[in-house]
Amino acid sequence: MLQAITLVVAQTIVLLAVSPYIVGLIRKVKARFQCRRGASVFQPYADLAKLFRKQPVVSTTTSWIFTATPYILFASTLAAGLLVPVFASSTPLSFAGNIIAFVYLLALGTFFLMLAGLDAGSAFGGMGSSREAIVASLTEPAMILSIFAIALTAGSTNLSTIVHKTALMEGIVTDPSPHLMALAALFIVALAETGRVPVDNPATHLELTMIHEAMVLEYSGRYLALIEWAAGLKLLVFLTLIANVFAPWGIATRLEPAALSIGLVTYLVKVSGLAVLVGVIESMFAKLRLFRVTDLLGVAFILALLGLVFFYVLRG
Amino acid sequence: MPLLAPHIGSQMVDLGSALLLLTCFAIVAQRRLSACVDLFALQSVFLALTAALVAFLTGIHHIYIAAALTVVIKAVVIPRILKQVIERLNVKRELEMNVNVPTGLLICGALVILAFFITQPIIPLGFLLTRDSLGIALAIVLIGFFTMIARKKAVTQVIGFLVMENGLFLGATAAAYGMPLIVELGIFFDVLVGALIIGIYSHRLQDAFDSVDTTKLTTLKE
Repeated sequence: MLQAITLVVAQTIVLLAVSPYIVGLIRKVKARFQCRRGASVFQPYADLAKLFRKQPVVSTTTSWIFTATPYILFASTLAAGLLVPVFASSTPLSFAGNIIAFVYLLALGTFFLMLAGLDAGSAFGGMGSSREAIVASLTEPAMILSIFAIALTAGSTNLSTIVHKTALMEGIVTDPSPHLMALAALFIVALAETGRVPVDNPATHLELTMIHEAMVLEYSGRYLALIEWAAGLKLLVFLTLIANVFAPWGIATRLEPAALSIGLVTYLVKVSGLAVLVGVIESMFAKLRLFRVTDLLGVAFILALLGLVFFYVLRG
Repeated sequence: MPLLAPHIGSQMVDLGSALLLLTCFAIVAQRRLSACVDLFALQSVFLALTAALVAFLTGIHHIYIAAALTVVIKAVVIPRILKQVIERLNVKRELEMNVNVPTGLLICGALVILAFFITQPIIPLGFLLTRDSLGIALAIVLIGFFTMIARKKAVTQVIGFLVMENGLFLGATAAAYGMPLIVELGIFFDVLVGALIIGIYSHRLQDAFDSVDTTKLTTLKE
């Protein structure tokens, strides 16, 4: 029991502590591609600390949703993060929910953020919310299908079981094709859900095309800090999911200090590598026009569907 | 003498075929013409790798020759010819399609399921380690055919035709470890000449109609 609580606390600390670093790392990679030196990778920590000290300004026209949303978003994202194995393959909270709970915990945060965007009554917020609704409704089927393709190969929808079985290569169908398709689909979904470049541009506050930034335009002070932190956390949770479901090697399959420290180091290496990849993609591709986003997410959906079909066809 | 365990070799062949199918979908989703050509070249490289893998696993040497020819003709020569045509005709963008991209993708997804459904009863009868790729090969042929129907411009129709040919090559490799070398050589020559002819035909189309839109061919002209 004590061990389980320690593990949950440790996972919470790792997720919260690493997420601003991932955001900073992506910004650094992008800066390097633009021939700038860029801010330190630890700059987001300073930004968060500054925002937490500032006084929030809340519009008088807003309801309770506006002030409650940052907390709901932060808590639901963190709860989703605790369902994903991070450095140990067995998360103590895995009994609390499977892959489907994970997807809808993230959707809960998105839903409240959309409401908050509408709440202040500004034109930008409403526009951002309506766009977020388009993207969210298109990513959801692709995400569910790709996750089902993985769940079928492992024979379970529990993330801990999937990662544990894949790490030990036991009792799973090791055919690479469904995994490959699901990986490609999930990567596109991750970019879309976390508002990265082909779908949304996280570096701008002044564009008519922004999605996430338009919804949070009214926030300031500690509310903004929580939302930014939750956005970083969501990105980290997606990268963790991709890293540990598709390449869980190195993760601690037993709860021993040596295995856990190796698991932690390999985890940091893997998510840093993925963050660099995201930074490279952001530097290489232009943002898609909003009506082209459906093409990209259509590709993700088809890939996930193919992953599922391959699972049934190729195992014979 | 097989150097790899047969089931791992079989999975590698499946993976190669899956990558081929992946590039097919990328071609269907791609709107820019030159990117389509690049994707076709990439697909041909994947095809050559898969064929070389089959040659390595089975020790049948003439498949190596076919793989090398695939790289030279389909990944280098034909893309270069097509790019020249695109450059000379000034058709950099391909925006005209008879169906939009998400619908096209869904249709292709349905075609893949159809192909798997058709090949499902046949596959267990085979005993080759590449037999699972037969469904994928048929799916690639169908998607190539769909690309020819769905796109209006002559150059993308060539790409659809070439994708179909890649599917047939994969199917032959999957079903029978490749056709006899003389037949392969004939097909390569046909494909090359076909690409050249369609290049010239695009020029003629451009001269006659100021466009490479093949739907204009249905209008009568004095």
